[in-house]
This record gives sequence, C-alpha cells and structure tokens, in this order.
Amino acid sequence: MRQMRERRNTMLQRKKRVCRFCEAGDVFIDFRDEKRLVRFLTELGKIVPRRTSGNCNQHQRQLATALKRARHLALIPFVSDIPR
Amino acid sequence: MENLYCTIFIVDISQNPDESETVSSRIQQLVEDHGGIIKKINRWGKKRMAYSIQKKSHGFYVEIEFSASSRLNIPKILEAEYRINDRVLRHLTYIVDKKEQVQREKNAGKFKKAQEAEKPESSEESNGSKKTVTPPPSEEKEVAESPVEDVKKTEDIEVQPELEEVNDAETKKSAKKETASDDISDPVAESEPPAEQKSTEQKESENESSSEEEDSERSES
Repeated sequence: MRQMRERRNTMLQRKKRVCRFCEAGDVFIDFRDEKRLVRFLTELGKIVPRRTSGNCNQHQRQLATALKRARHLALIPFVSDIPR
Repeated sequence: MENLYCTIFIVDISQNPDESETVSSRIQQLVEDHGGIIKKINRWGKKRMAYSIQKKSHGFYVEIEFSASSRLNIPKILEAEYRINDRVLRHLTYIVDKKEQVQREKNAGKFKKAQEAEKPESSEESNGSKKTVTPPPSEEKEVAESPVEDVKKTEDIEVQPELEEVNDAETKKSAKKETASDDISDPVAESEPPAEQKSTEQKESENESSSEEEDSERSES
C-alpha cells in the first residue's frame, strides 16, 4: 500500500510542469518575436493547448493574443500544410 | 485619457521601392495633424511573409508609436487611410498597455546588464575552457539591432539541450568502447568485437544524423 502511494506520488511529481514565461519572469509576451512564438504552435500551425505546453492561465491567454496578432501580420502562418 | 498607441503596417514595394517612405510619411502627417505625438518609428525592412497577401510574398514592415488622447480617435482615422490606400497590405493598431511597457523596461535593463557583464567576462572566457559555447560577436550585434531583444534569451535556452545531448552521446560511446576492449582481451570471444564496433559506429552515425536533422530544422524555422 505504501509502495503504491509512493509510486503515485512520483508519477504526479513528474507530470508537474512550470510555466516557461513565469520562470523567465516575463510580464508580457511580444508578438514580434516570432521565433519564440513558433514553439507554441503544432506542425499544422495550431496553438498548443495549455495541458501540453504547461503555461499558466495568464500567460496562455497572453500567448494566444500574441499568436493571433502575429498571424494577422503574416509573421507566422495560419495553416502550414508542410510539417517542418 | 492619454494613450500610447502602436501601429504596424505592411507596404507593397514590388512596383516602387520608395513606396514605404511615402506611406509612412503620410501616416506620420495624419497622426501629427490630428494632435498625436510621434514617439518612435521603427522600420523592420523588407521581410518574407509567412503566407502570400494579394499574391505578394514580400512586404516592407513599418512600426510607428505615438501617444494621443483617446478622444481624438486617431486609430479610426488611420483605419480609414489604410483602407483607402492600395499599397498597404496589412495593418494593426493597438494600445500599448502597462504590462508591455514594464516588459520593455525590463528587457532594456537586462540588455544593459548583459552588455556590461559581457565586456569583462569575454577576456576571461577566451583564456578558459574552449568547450563552453559562446556565440560569436557578429551574431550578438545582429540581435542588438533586431527590434526584439528576447531573441537572445531564447537562443541561450536552445544551446543547452544540444550540449546535454552531446555529453550523453560521448558517455555512451566511451562506455561501449570499454565493453569492446574487455571483449578483445578474452581470447574466446574474438569474433564478437568487430560486430560490436560496427554497432557502435552505426549508433554514432545515427546520433550525428539526428543532430544534423535538428540543426536543419532550426535553421528552417
């Protein structure tokens, strides 16, 4: 029983991720920085969900607006057919 | 209320390369005529767009920052101008909020600190171990000129995983070589070592190919 609990604890600990923007201490995510934004896109150009990227609520929302602005200005694609 | 606005637009310069100047001067004039104060003009230059707009693959990006009272309704005037002007492919006007301003100050501070720290350290690093990957000075200058200073940070982050991978690969190689040498010392298992060496060579080549692929991906992105 105790082993089970320990194993469960380790599994939970592994899953925990920290928001990259919080770690870097960023207050605002700039849409001009397309190199940084591309990391949060899937191969087809979709926005990566929070459960995979590990971002916190505030930064994920900021990121979404940044990505949308960058898309509008043709810095990043709406859809990329060819996976990189 | 006094606001800080930022407007970015893409000009089509496929027919006339001077078009960007005429359009940006026109926008500046409009802002100043209606009571706005221009703070900063940033020309990003000709860039390749991620997707073609009006069958054009390249465009000239101009960014203008100005402060104005919200009563003056300048974004609306600019919007009308952008819509009439055929040369403007895309435009974006938004209010620069406090968070962005704070972030900019932060970045500026970090950048200054980094510059100050690099000057004394650069001589020490050259004397020390050569294995530590230090970006060449030419790249740093390019980064400094680019509109966003965060790029530098991301590059630093990217460098680390590569190093780790290399180290792992080296440790694996050394471990395998040791096992191979043990086998050679045994007279019975003389037939085995060449096969193992082959396998190690294959693995090495795989590692190299994978690293090359990653590099190519990064360069593409």
